[in-house]
Amino acid sequence: MDGSLLRPRWRKVLRDLWLHKARTFLVVLAIAIGIAGAGSVLDTWALLRRVTRDEFSGTNPASATIRTDAIDSALLAAVRAHPAVGEVAARRTVVGAVQARGSWRTAMLFATNDLSAVTIGKVQTEAGTWPPADGAIAIEKSSVDFAGVALGQSVTLQIGEAEPRALEVVGIARDAGLAPGWMEHIVYAFVTPATLAMLGAPSDLNQLQFTVRDRSLEWEAVRRIAYEVKALVERTGRRVADVDVPEPGAHIHAGQINSLLLAKGAFGLLALLLSGFLVVNLISAMLTGQVREIGVMKALGARSGQLAAMYLALALLLGFVACLVALPVAALVGRAYAGFIAEILNFDTTGFSIPTWAFALQVAVGLLLPVAAASIPVIRGCRIPVSEALRDFGIAGQDHESDTGWLSRLGGVTRPLLLSLRNAFRKRQRMALTLITLAMGGAVYLGSLNLRTSIQRSVSYLFGDILRYDISIRLTRPMAPDSIERAIQGVAGVGAVEGWSSTRTAVSHADSTLGNAFPLVGQPAGSKLVAFPLVEGRWLTEGSRRDIVVSDRMLKEEPQLRLGSAVTLIVSGRPTIWTIVGVARTGVQPGAYTTRAALAEALGNGSVALVTVRAADRDPSSHGALSRRIRGELEAKGVEIASSQLMEESRSVLEDHLLTVAQTLTVMSQLMILVGGLGLASTMSLAVLERTREIGVMRAIGARHGAIHTMVQAEGLVIALASWLVALPLSVPMSVLVGKAFGRVMLPVPTHIVPGGGGVLQWLLVVVGVSVVASAWPAIRATRVPVARALSYE
Amino acid sequence: MNPSPLISLSHVSKSFSGAGGVFTALADVSLTIDRGQFAVVVGQSGSGKSTLLGLLAGIDRPSEGEVLVGGTAVHQLPERAMSAWRGRAVGIVFQFFQLLPTLTAVENVMLPMDFCDAWPAAERRPRAMALLERLGVADQAVKLPSTLSGGQQQRVAIARALANQPAVLLADEPTGNLDSRTSESIFELFAKLVEEGQTVVMVTHERGAMRYASQSITLADGRVVA
Ligand SMILES: Nc1ncnc2c1ncn2[C@@H]1O[C@H](COP(=O)(O)OP(=O)(O)OP(=O)(O)O)[C@@H](O)[C@H]1O
Ligand SMILES: [Mg+2]
Repeated sequence: MDGSLLRPRWRKVLRDLWLHKARTFLVVLAIAIGIAGAGSVLDTWALLRRVTRDEFSGTNPASATIRTDAIDSALLAAVRAHPAVGEVAARRTVVGAVQARGSWRTAMLFATNDLSAVTIGKVQTEAGTWPPADGAIAIEKSSVDFAGVALGQSVTLQIGEAEPRALEVVGIARDAGLAPGWMEHIVYAFVTPATLAMLGAPSDLNQLQFTVRDRSLEWEAVRRIAYEVKALVERTGRRVADVDVPEPGAHIHAGQINSLLLAKGAFGLLALLLSGFLVVNLISAMLTGQVREIGVMKALGARSGQLAAMYLALALLLGFVACLVALPVAALVGRAYAGFIAEILNFDTTGFSIPTWAFALQVAVGLLLPVAAASIPVIRGCRIPVSEALRDFGIAGQDHESDTGWLSRLGGVTRPLLLSLRNAFRKRQRMALTLITLAMGGAVYLGSLNLRTSIQRSVSYLFGDILRYDISIRLTRPMAPDSIERAIQGVAGVGAVEGWSSTRTAVSHADSTLGNAFPLVGQPAGSKLVAFPLVEGRWLTEGSRRDIVVSDRMLKEEPQLRLGSAVTLIVSGRPTIWTIVGVARTGVQPGAYTTRAALAEALGNGSVALVTVRAADRDPSSHGALSRRIRGELEAKGVEIASSQLMEESRSVLEDHLLTVAQTLTVMSQLMILVGGLGLASTMSLAVLERTREIGVMRAIGARHGAIHTMVQAEGLVIALASWLVALPLSVPMSVLVGKAFGRVMLPVPTHIVPGGGGVLQWLLVVVGVSVVASAWPAIRATRVPVARALSYE
Repeated sequence: MNPSPLISLSHVSKSFSGAGGVFTALADVSLTIDRGQFAVVVGQSGSGKSTLLGLLAGIDRPSEGEVLVGGTAVHQLPERAMSAWRGRAVGIVFQFFQLLPTLTAVENVMLPMDFCDAWPAAERRPRAMALLERLGVADQAVKLPSTLSGGQQQRVAIARALANQPAVLLADEPTGNLDSRTSESIFELFAKLVEEGQTVVMVTHERGAMRYASQSITLADGRVVA
């Protein structure tokens, strides 16, 4: 380090940093961890915001979709003429079954006249050719793995009762407006109307999509336009089945992502705050070692301002170096995490860059954080009167030491332990910072363990207590419930079987507008295979006619509804009046439940397409075989199965997915504990540094290495155990917070707020481990204090 | 030329309040030191010598009385101005040398010039080298303090104290950590500086220093007794 161009004071700053490499490294590491933690969340958020805005809006999503029949160019032209309507398109979606690698899955086929010129809900070609020719198929990218198909393979498709046909997969395309197929368990695919006709499905276009001219309109305004268009469609003599108006500009999962990142962002900020604490500690330590030099420099004529500038510049430099490390790490992690979320959202982040402002913000915080953290100790250190600085050793001075006399009044404490205890409490403020840092990390750690338990329990609850069936079978052709139930009941190993009917419906509002479509499910009155927890009201009974139980989500979407209110639902195009007799928690999607008989009456048709089966043997490993037996039996009877699903599989998919989210929280807490450990290490080395003379005296009067080692380690342990203890009550509000955030994002889990015994023990092991490692180097340093030097230390 | 003394203390008292009540370290001290003097302060341990020097250096403030150094009322200077004044008007030599350990000898000497902007940046290093030359340690210029002997360190410290051409050089037991032969050479050095016109106030326990002194101040229990 030559720097002959630098003033001596700056040379001093640089050489001091170099001299205390370990400490410098710790400070840089602390800042870098904070910046990387918060920065990665910021980068994720900024990147996703950019992608969602650009890519999702780039697909030109439909403002509304109206289901009607026989859409022709005359109708399109009429709708396009509406002053508020921008673009108009028509398509058909057909639900069928697709067979790939032997198993059947639900397929949703999108068809439109000219797939090469899709204007609304634009589709991107990922691989292969686009558009698919007549007789070929293109699969949506997020369904590819789920369907188990590859480009060039052939898949068997069957629509309704028509003859199954094999189609070649010629392309893979991406529709960013769809929730991922693997998540929805649907194979999305694109075909031409001619292909639909080949498959025996109606090929006329029945979905009218349009965009509003003014993209900034509120949901309500878009809905109003949609109903004007609906009226327009009806004037042409067509019937409108339903009107779907999604929230403008919002991707299906956008809200979830925002709150997910909000929670992560909160922890990122916490990590930043904690690393700020650590920087305060370390800079205090630096200044403690420099008090005498500060005094000397003042005696040589240095003003407090000049000295403060030196040390703040030093902090700035540390922040700068930390940024050099942290920014790329944050960008890497942020990009990876954004990629993970984008996959859930069915987006692609490639080709998008993290916005510059995100980097600028991180640099600003990275530079300011250490300066802000350093400012208090620096100002305090530089204000020390010269006389005191030259006489004294230690910034916090005697007057800041706390009364620890109470400790000696504690009974049953041995003398060396008493010394460690007393030492730990000597510098109250520094100890508090270290303790809080560790305890916060511990609280989040316990919170994440609680969340894990909550997730596991609520998934068990969902798949054990609420959904009591083990296998669900979707029939290609709806059947009379009695005959299908009888057929399945006869299979060995079947405990219970229920056929459920279902239709899509929508609430008819007083102003003759329709709400968004949702499923209305008909179940046997005393269903034994499902038991949703009731929020209020009662469940369906045998005699209930036109009674429904609605999901609590439903009440959020249709705020005018409440328990006891009469509601008009459009079922098969006809208005029917129902009474809400109960509100139940059924998950994140809106839905309603009635008896099979009531739905049969409303539909004028009692057949069921979904059959749920509960196995007699509760061991999930036997359910696969049972499912195969049932399929065999049904096939033998000529009953066609569209798809079947083992609940055990759904359960593990859901659990894995949710636990991934909990896992990121655990990693966050480990990061915080790491920061806490660094804090403890710095606190302990500071303590050793300040007590050089004391340790020298102890060694002079015969204390052996082991004793001094033990004393330092015990002092670290005192702080660690205190944080362990503090973290326990602190984890309660943390768990509530985490559970709430998670509930809003994923699915409402019953929050376990009290830390479990296993978690408490784990946290103890972690914190003791951290303490032993953090105190190791300071303890070694303490044993290396030479007796003579310690005593002559001025 | 100037009839008024360089340093003048009138009715200066300094007391410290501590756990054991108020302790008076200096009581009603009045004295003057003229320009060009080699003033030696002696007295028993605890008699207030360091306290006196601290007041002259503006490191501490008197409880009562006035401290004038080179016409400046030191006891009235606000904190900021005090530092600046101290950097230019006095040079301090400590018993434990107090060289900054991470700066080389010459950098230590340049440091006061840096803080006080007393010399143009380009002239600082040549001036520091000249001072080291004058004190006979020019060959140690680029070494770190820890590699120098006690005597060499103290010479570098004196060069540093002289960096801003102070009106007065204050030294508190500058030889307290040195052997007698080295101490002697330091005293000779001070005497040479005084010959060249430098005013020096030195606290010492060494009897031998008295023969270099042009003025002696003896303290006992915080009072001037001779
Ligand atoms: N900051 C202080 N607070 C309380 N008492 C002080 C303080 N500084 C000095 N004293 C007391 O004032 C008295 C004079 O101290 P001073 O350091 O001036 O003595 P000294 O003559 O320099 O002694 P020595 O020869 O041992 O250095 C001593 O009794 C000392 O205890
Ligand atoms: Mg003294």
